[in-house]
Amino acid sequence: MSKNRNLKWIYLFLAPSIIIFAMFYLVPIITLFSTSLTKWDGFNEPKFIGLDNYIKLFTQDSFLISLKNLAYWGIIAGTLHVGFAVLIAFLLHKKPFGWKFVRSVYMIPNIISVAAWAMIYRFFFNNDFGILNNLIRKLNPDFNVNWFFESPFAFWAITLTWLFYGVIVTLIVFNELMSISPDIHEAAKIDGANEWQITTKINLPLCKNAIATGIILSITSRIAMYETIALTTRGGPGDDTMNIPIILVNAINDMNYGYANASAVMMFLFGIMVLVIINKLFGINKEH
Amino acid sequence: MKKISMYATLLFVVIISIFPIIWVIISSFKTNAEILNNPFSLPTSINFNAYIEVFEQYDMMLYTWNSFIISTIASLIALLCFAMGAYVIAKYNFKGKNLFYALFTLTLLVPGHTKAQPIFSLIMNLDLYDKKSGLILVYISAGMAISMFILRNTFLSIPKELNEAAEIDGASFLRIFFTINLPLAKPGLATAGILMFLNNWNEYFYAMLLTSSNSNRTLPLALGFFNESFSYDYTKMFAALTIAIVPGILIYSFAQEQVQQSVAATGIKG
Repeated sequence: MSKNRNLKWIYLFLAPSIIIFAMFYLVPIITLFSTSLTKWDGFNEPKFIGLDNYIKLFTQDSFLISLKNLAYWGIIAGTLHVGFAVLIAFLLHKKPFGWKFVRSVYMIPNIISVAAWAMIYRFFFNNDFGILNNLIRKLNPDFNVNWFFESPFAFWAITLTWLFYGVIVTLIVFNELMSISPDIHEAAKIDGANEWQITTKINLPLCKNAIATGIILSITSRIAMYETIALTTRGGPGDDTMNIPIILVNAINDMNYGYANASAVMMFLFGIMVLVIINKLFGINKEH
Repeated sequence: MKKISMYATLLFVVIISIFPIIWVIISSFKTNAEILNNPFSLPTSINFNAYIEVFEQYDMMLYTWNSFIISTIASLIALLCFAMGAYVIAKYNFKGKNLFYALFTLTLLVPGHTKAQPIFSLIMNLDLYDKKSGLILVYISAGMAISMFILRNTFLSIPKELNEAAEIDGASFLRIFFTINLPLAKPGLATAGILMFLNNWNEYFYAMLLTSSNSNRTLPLALGFFNESFSYDYTKMFAALTIAIVPGILIYSFAQEQVQQSVAATGIKG
């Protein structure tokens, strides 16, 4: 009766989402993979060339340096960056004076545009009037470094623009901590556990999934890091801060679409790899 | 000792989070010479000259308007489309329901930048290159995973009995959606809307890829151009930066809890 009448409405309501999904996700992803095996300029028909684009990628210096950078950035993101964010989550969980304020303020760098944040850091690290170098010069008057434009500093300047800003991870872990039943802590205290033991033996293991999610998010954002680099170093000096999205955009501008999509497929695959590896490492999806 | 190191760490978090921004805002009131001579000094006089100049000599008003109109329209359309989708997924049983929900939310795992070339070509083929409507379309699609996730949960939390009662009263499908469910879903709609608006307001990558003319430039994109055209006029640059970042911070300060909760739940950054 009313079921059949509703069915028409149900699919009508679903239609916009399905169309958007097809146009902006399904078809682009299929195009991505299929044209990555072709030579294609967007005007003429794509010409199948097998794995040539991938071979070209893996023999090109800028791509190999991107891989090296990504490896370093991925490791730093998964350890130091997430570690700092988790530490902040645990500190906030103790509800010290002003914890709500700290939580709110920590979110601000994530609220403003990545482009604006990159510019702010560009000036913050400016050799002449930037805060960082002028502070250092109070101790060492001869200090002169153009952070974003000198090797090897540029790599670390880019790293510093995100290293301590892990508020997403902090919030995810914090939420997980808040959901731990107080009974568990009470029971542990009765059994004579001290605060350190509660933190390391109870809270940390219970946050395992949240931390894994944080690591995945943090590493995958390094794979997609474009704005920060494009608005500061543009991949330089040399190829010091090269990253795959920069190669992707350059290839699109050169109308080298097959090659562009091969680099995008690599980003895609690295993302999936991170997801699978971290899930394996943390043993997620095993018991729940 | 433990307490001191804890507060020191939290103080460090506060400093790195707001000090660079405060420095930019303060510097926008200093003269170029003051900025170069002493980066730590306070402005000698507070005037809005740099802001007036940025608005008068450059098309700051246009960029702000572009960002505002593109972000708003995209968020509103996305909200309606995904509310409809999330509603039927939450409230009705039909074939393929779980598959659709899984597909829609899995889009979260696709890094936005990877689809650059296919979306560039799609927008070209639709003849929407360098048009606001092209960017709006892309921004609508970008909000899919967040909105589906938030709105489905919202509609699930609205008691099913309301729909059943309305059906017995003979209310139509559309009426039940628009007059009963949509008003009750306001908190979820607000959260998803705010998150999408912030993401759109801040978006740089596709704005760069899909527009070329000055008349369709958004604020984040304009910052990149300013960097070249202002070159050594830092006061103006800082004023432009302030204009770009303050609206987002203001929206956030009014909707902190929602933004924090949904970011924690979906893992999406602004």
